[in-house]
Amino acid sequence: MQWSELEREVIRCIRCGACQSVCPVFREMRAESTVARGKISLIRAVIRGEVDAAGPAFAERMSWCLMCRACQESCPSGVNLGELMLAARRKLAEDNGLPLLKRLIFRLGLRNRRLFELGMGLGAIFQGLLLRPAPGGGGMLPRLPMGLDRRRLVSPVVARPFRARVPARVDAAGARGTVALFTGCMINYVYPRIGEAVVAVLTRNGFNVVIPAGQHCCGTPVYVNGDVPTAVELARATVDAFADLDADAVITACGSCGAALRKEYGPLLANEPGYAEKVARLAAKTRDFAEFLAAAGLTSAMKGLAATVTYHDSCHLARSQGVRGQPRELIAAVPGLTFTELKAPARCCGAAGSFSLSHYGLSRKINDHKVDDIAAGGADIVATGCPMCLMHIRDGMNQRGVGGEVLHTAELLARAYGEEGI
Amino acid sequence: MAAIKGIVGAENVLEAYEDRYCYTYDASAVTAGREGTPALVVYPGSAAEVSALLVLANAHKIPVIPRGAGSNVSGGSIPRAGAMVMVLTRMNRIVIIDRRNMIAEAEAGVITADFQAEVEKLGLFYPPDPASKAFSTLGGNVAECAGGPRGAKYGVTRDYVLGLEAVLPTGEIVKTGARTMKCVAGYDLTRLITGSEGTLAVVTKVIVKLLPLPEAKKTLLAVFADMDRAAETVSQVFMAGVVPTTLELLDNIYIRNIEEYVHIGLPVDAEAVLLIEVDGDPAVLDKQAGIIARICREQGATEVKVARDAKEADELWVARRAAFAAMSRVRPTVIGEDCTVPRDRIPEMVRAIRAIAAKYDIIIAVLGHAGDGNLHATILTDERDREEMARVEQAAAEIFTATLAMDGTLTGEHGIGLVKKKYLPLEMGEGGMMAMRAIKRALDPNNILNPDLI
Repeated sequence: MQWSELEREVIRCIRCGACQSVCPVFREMRAESTVARGKISLIRAVIRGEVDAAGPAFAERMSWCLMCRACQESCPSGVNLGELMLAARRKLAEDNGLPLLKRLIFRLGLRNRRLFELGMGLGAIFQGLLLRPAPGGGGMLPRLPMGLDRRRLVSPVVARPFRARVPARVDAAGARGTVALFTGCMINYVYPRIGEAVVAVLTRNGFNVVIPAGQHCCGTPVYVNGDVPTAVELARATVDAFADLDADAVITACGSCGAALRKEYGPLLANEPGYAEKVARLAAKTRDFAEFLAAAGLTSAMKGLAATVTYHDSCHLARSQGVRGQPRELIAAVPGLTFTELKAPARCCGAAGSFSLSHYGLSRKINDHKVDDIAAGGADIVATGCPMCLMHIRDGMNQRGVGGEVLHTAELLARAYGEEGI
Repeated sequence: MAAIKGIVGAENVLEAYEDRYCYTYDASAVTAGREGTPALVVYPGSAAEVSALLVLANAHKIPVIPRGAGSNVSGGSIPRAGAMVMVLTRMNRIVIIDRRNMIAEAEAGVITADFQAEVEKLGLFYPPDPASKAFSTLGGNVAECAGGPRGAKYGVTRDYVLGLEAVLPTGEIVKTGARTMKCVAGYDLTRLITGSEGTLAVVTKVIVKLLPLPEAKKTLLAVFADMDRAAETVSQVFMAGVVPTTLELLDNIYIRNIEEYVHIGLPVDAEAVLLIEVDGDPAVLDKQAGIIARICREQGATEVKVARDAKEADELWVARRAAFAAMSRVRPTVIGEDCTVPRDRIPEMVRAIRAIAAKYDIIIAVLGHAGDGNLHATILTDERDREEMARVEQAAAEIFTATLAMDGTLTGEHGIGLVKKKYLPLEMGEGGMMAMRAIKRALDPNNILNPDLI
């Protein structure tokens, strides 16, 4: 790819500055180079030969984006900053290569599913050396300075991943349909209980759930860091595993995974012969858990839950997939529950996948606004549709001493059904 | 540099080239580029810091370019090499909202829409509503004397500014005006600085008057087969004693492109659409809407829709809100002019714009805040096409001449900036330019504050 190929998109930015009112990164950093208008002008400058794309300063500024797509939503000329950032990072990765750690994880680990699973398994065993349980439970804190902030509450990798815990098919009594579950890495390796909740709630409501073996990472973590070759391999693996399954829908329970399956695979696999049709089929079939369930309708009565619950919109669920009302509908249907809205439910929580590791301080500051919003509302439970948001908001509440639980919408519903252990 | 960091703190100075480069533009088509990249960008936190920076800059003759969000469309905050860009966004405190006296005082960096939301919580109203209000600052609005669609009834920023705290280029902190509705002490420095585009002083605090928040609104949409009839309707509405909050006119190019984009059932062969809003006491709104609807029909409107509730009103506004996005789909570069003429000359001006577009073979659509004669001639082009850009430049110059010939002004609300600098003498005359230069020299003897604008 050449930088000049981006010209057609960048000149559509009329520099009005509207992105300033919504960009979470700009809000913290204030510098024009951190907001969409500034980043676009830097890409323009690279095309004109006024800024050196090979220098570290340019790459750093391209990294200051959460991919939350809030600017896209507010842009009067509809400039697709997300795609521009992806293209820029892809070009930077092509030209400069990836940092060593990312290269090891993406190329060696993620490209080989068995090796990745082995690595995650070893991680589960050895993480105790590096992490200690946080006082009061809820997660682990780093024991040593190792690039992670020592206050960073991370959820440990589980000893037995979700896919090793559940059978490949769970049947519902008197089923009205069958769905396939794309688990994603966070659910498989970190939050298997979300996966269990998804299966429990779907089967209770009359859907058989198949969990195809051979599924792997959706590719988002590598894609957003510019490693397109690895992302293409992962996308192909997902499409191969799911496109031809005999299922009514492919269910995702992670905002980013769902956005990848529905939106990103098209452009990513555009040059892969024989994939266009399969990609379209998969995209058309993919539904977020809450979106699918709200459309299908709840057929099984919940016991109820006496709690005040609020909801955080994951960027990739709300803005990329347009799923906003459905989870709220499901939550409001729980008997005995009181639902309250946050002041700014769709504002990015600052997690943004590996952004929260590479830019932890900034990511925390962005998260502080979310935690303030949650604390002001006083809800007992924050529900959300994305495990990455869930981890980051939990971390924020822990750091700030704000009480309350953070649950995936599926976990909340499973609890309302009286499921054990959720 | 050490002295500057000493004043504002190292964390409030940007030095990296890539960061400085992002201050070479504003929302206009002008950019300073690599050659005009400023030497540094500073974020002062108080009037005292602004003063210390200006004293330093004045002593070393460093050009200073003050700005808020950099959202002006006139090229009013474009730096030059060696300049210090001064960003006021850290100063974003609302000092007081005084309900008893219906005034408020806020720092320059407060975002206009945030300020409006705060005063509206108390049942008060700050009317100026530039399209950029969600991200532009009060200080920037004052410096540019920003307007907006509500101007037809409520005027522009200067009509609300009672007083200022501002720092002169030589470092003196001055307080102008008062917290009172009346104040005739001394020269009206408040009005001199308001709209001076950052050439005379750096605004650090603003005292504004507030109105009671109108209880309700009513929205109408009228479709016309004939542009003259639509324009005549505008004057007739005012002559009937009704002052609409907003009176927006969309021409056929806008209508067609909006309809193609959002499919809301606009008649694509209509010559003009008027979108009219009245606000105030709900008891009289229906009566006012009735008068406007009657006048529209009398003037030959083919269709008049009156929104029955907020939801229907919102549907009528869809067209207006989609206007810009619809246009940006046509050509990649969109340039919005804001020549303004007396209300009754709108049809003449629209005809002139069309003739000029035909002459230079370019697309110019017209959207206007017709209630105040403020027309946005929207030039749709492609900045990469040099030959076409040259024709665009010629067409713009001809629009300016036509505007002045119709007793209009080059700019109703965007400001002169670098974009229209060379045309200003056409409007001001030699005497006017001389007076402006004399004022500039008296207040800014070393010509450090936004020096390229005058």
